[in-house]
Amino acid sequence: MPPRGKTLEGGRRKGKTPRGFRALFARILVSDRFGHLTVPLFCILLTLFFSGILLLLLGKNPLVSFYSFLQGSGFAKKASYGNGVGMLSDFFAFLNICAPMLLAALAFIFGYRSGLFNIGIAGQMLLSGFLATIWVGYSDLPGILARPLVLLIGMGVGALLGGCVGFLKYRFNIHEVVSTIMINYIISYVTGFYINSRYVNQISRSSNVCSGASRLTFTKVNIAGYSCSVPLGIGIAVLAALIVQFILKRTVFGFEVRAVGSNRNAALYSGVSVGRQMVLSMMISGLLAGLAGVSYYLGYTNTIIPRELCSMGYDSIATALLGSSSPIGAVFASVLITIFQNGASYMSSTVGVAREIASVITGVLLLFSACGGYFRKRAEDYLKKLEDEEGGEKA
Amino acid sequence: MNYIESMITDGLAFGLPLFIMALGGIFSEKSGVTNLAVEGFQGFGAFVGAFLATVLSLKTPLGSQIILYLAIAAAFLGGALYASLHALLCIRFDADQVISGVVINILGVALTTFLTSQINGFLFGNASNKFILDSSFRFSVPLLSNIPILGAVFRNIYPFEILILILGLYFWYLMYKTRFGMHLRASGENPHALDSAGGNVRRTRFLSVMLSGGLSGIGGMCIAYSLLLQYSPSIYLGYGYLAIAAMIFGNWNIVPTFFVCIFFGLARAGGYQLCLFMKLSSRYTDLFMTIPYILTLVLLVFFSKRSHPPRAAGQPYDKGER
Repeated sequence: MPPRGKTLEGGRRKGKTPRGFRALFARILVSDRFGHLTVPLFCILLTLFFSGILLLLLGKNPLVSFYSFLQGSGFAKKASYGNGVGMLSDFFAFLNICAPMLLAALAFIFGYRSGLFNIGIAGQMLLSGFLATIWVGYSDLPGILARPLVLLIGMGVGALLGGCVGFLKYRFNIHEVVSTIMINYIISYVTGFYINSRYVNQISRSSNVCSGASRLTFTKVNIAGYSCSVPLGIGIAVLAALIVQFILKRTVFGFEVRAVGSNRNAALYSGVSVGRQMVLSMMISGLLAGLAGVSYYLGYTNTIIPRELCSMGYDSIATALLGSSSPIGAVFASVLITIFQNGASYMSSTVGVAREIASVITGVLLLFSACGGYFRKRAEDYLKKLEDEEGGEKA
Repeated sequence: MNYIESMITDGLAFGLPLFIMALGGIFSEKSGVTNLAVEGFQGFGAFVGAFLATVLSLKTPLGSQIILYLAIAAAFLGGALYASLHALLCIRFDADQVISGVVINILGVALTTFLTSQINGFLFGNASNKFILDSSFRFSVPLLSNIPILGAVFRNIYPFEILILILGLYFWYLMYKTRFGMHLRASGENPHALDSAGGNVRRTRFLSVMLSGGLSGIGGMCIAYSLLLQYSPSIYLGYGYLAIAAMIFGNWNIVPTFFVCIFFGLARAGGYQLCLFMKLSSRYTDLFMTIPYILTLVLLVFFSKRSHPPRAAGQPYDKGER
C-alpha cells in the first residue's frame, strides 16, 4: 500500500485514494508517469503466463525453456561452447539481428504516429537490400566508400517507396495497408525473378553473398579472446531511435506529425498541410525501413533468399506496439522480441520444442499489446467506481 | 484457342474462392468492423479443414469426395472460430480494428505453422509443415461444355465452385432480404439507429465477423484444394488482401464484387497462360504472377476516390456517444 498523500497519480486525483491490492494495481496501470511502462509489462507477464501454459501442455518445463531463450541470445551462459566462441559472440550475434528489428520498429512507429500503417516494411526492406546488394555488394569498392553508399541507397530507396505509398494515399485515397501489401508482393516476385535469373548461387539457392567491404557487420573480430561479429547497424539503430524521439517530441514537424495522427481534421483546421505531412512521414518511415533492410540483408544474412519476405517486417509491428509506439520503448521491446526470435533455435535444440513457437509467443504478445488500451480503461473505470463508492460513504 | 479455354477454366477456379473470401470481408465491414484479417481467417480455416481431411483419410475409409465436403465444412467452422478472436478484440476489447486485423494475421501464420508441425510430428513422426491433400475430382457439364470457347466455363469444374455460387446467392439473400441482413447493414451505417430500434449492435457485429471468418475459411480451403494440393504456410500468399481489394472496387456490394473477383481470376490465369503461350522459361512466371497485384493498384487509383465504405466501419460502438 502506498503511503497516504504520495499517490502514483502525481496528485491528479484529490482526496483520499482507494486502497487495497486491486486498487494499487489499477493505479499503477493508469498512472501518467508509469502507465506507458506498466501496461506493456503487464502484457509481457500475461504472455509469459500463457506461453508457459502452452509449454506445460507440450510437456516441457517453461522455466527451463525461457532460460534457454536467454542462453541462446547471449544473456546467460550456455552449458558448453565451441572453440573460440563464447557468451560474448552470442550476444553480438543477438545485436546483429536486433539492429534491423529496432530500425523496422522505428519505421512502423513513425508511420503510426502520423496515423498511417506501414505494413510494407518487409517490401521496403527487401527492395533496398536487393538494390544495395547488386549495386554495391557485387562491386569491388573499398569499404570506406561502399558502406556509406549502402546506407545511402537503403535510405533513398526506402524513402522513395514510402513516399509513393503516402502519395497514393493522399492523392487517390488508397488505403495504405492495401497498397503496401500489393507493393510487397510485387517486389518479392520481381526481385525473386532477378535473383533467380542472374544472381543465384546454385548451391544455396539464394543470391550470391556480397563483398566483405560492403557488409555492415564486421565478422570475426577478436574481442576478449572470442570471435564476434560486430554490427554497425546497432549503433545506427540506437542513434535513429534517439533522433526519432527528438523529432517527434521537440520539433514543429514532429508536433504536426502527431497532430495529423491524432485528429486529421483538427490538424487540417489548424493549418497543417495534411497531404504533405502524410507523404513526408511515409517517406521517413520508408527511410527507416530501408536502413533496416540494408542492415538485415547486408549485415545479418549477407544474402537474399528469392521470393521470401522476411517475417521481421511484421514482427516489427509487434515490437512497436509493445513499446507503446515510443522510440525509446521500442529499444526495450526489440530486445525482448529478438530474445525470443534469436534464442528459438537454441531453445529448440535443448528443450525440443519446434522453433516456430517463438512466432507464436510473439503473436500472443501482440494480441495482448493490442488490448493494452482496454486494460488501462478497465483500470480507470475500476478506480472511478471505487472513488464514487468512497464519496458516497462520506456523504 | 486452347490457351483461352484454360484461362477461363483456371480463372474461375481461382476467382470463385477469391469471391467467397471477399464476401466474408463484405459481411464483416458492412456490419461496421474493419476486416484486414481475411488473410488470417482463410489460412486458419484451411488449416482446420486440411487437418480434418488428413485425419479422416488416415483413420477412416471415407471416399475423397466426402472428405472434401467435410473439410470445407470444417474450414467454415474453423474460420468462424478464429474470427471470434477478431470479434472479441474489436467488439469486446475495443482494440483498434486495423491493428487487430494485422495481429490476427500474424498470429494465424505463427499458430498454424507451429500446430501443423506439432500435429505432423504426432501423427507421422516427422515434423513437416504441410498436410498433403488428395486432389479434388472435377466434372464437366455434358453438352454445354462442347460450346467452343465459352464451353470452358462448364468444363473441369471443381465441386466447390458450385457450392460457392450457391452460398453466394444465399448470403446475398441474407444480406439484402432478411431481418438479420437489415440489422447487419444498419449496424455498419448507423449503429445508434439500430440500437434505438431494439437491435443489438454488438451481437449483430459479432455474428457477422464470425460469418466472415467462416466464408473466408471456405475460400482458403478451396485454394488449398485447387492451387496448392496441400496445406502449408504457402497458403499465405496474400490472396486475402486481394479479396479485400476486390471488395473495395466492388464498393462493398456483393454483385459487383463477384465480377471483380472473376476478373482478377481471369487476369491471373491469363498471365500464366500468356507465359506458356510465349514459351518462356518457368522463371518468368514470377513476373506474370505480379499481374493481379499491379492490376489491383492501378484499379484502386481509379476507383478509390469514389468508394463509399460503410459509415461506421472502424469505430467501436459506444452507446453513450451520439
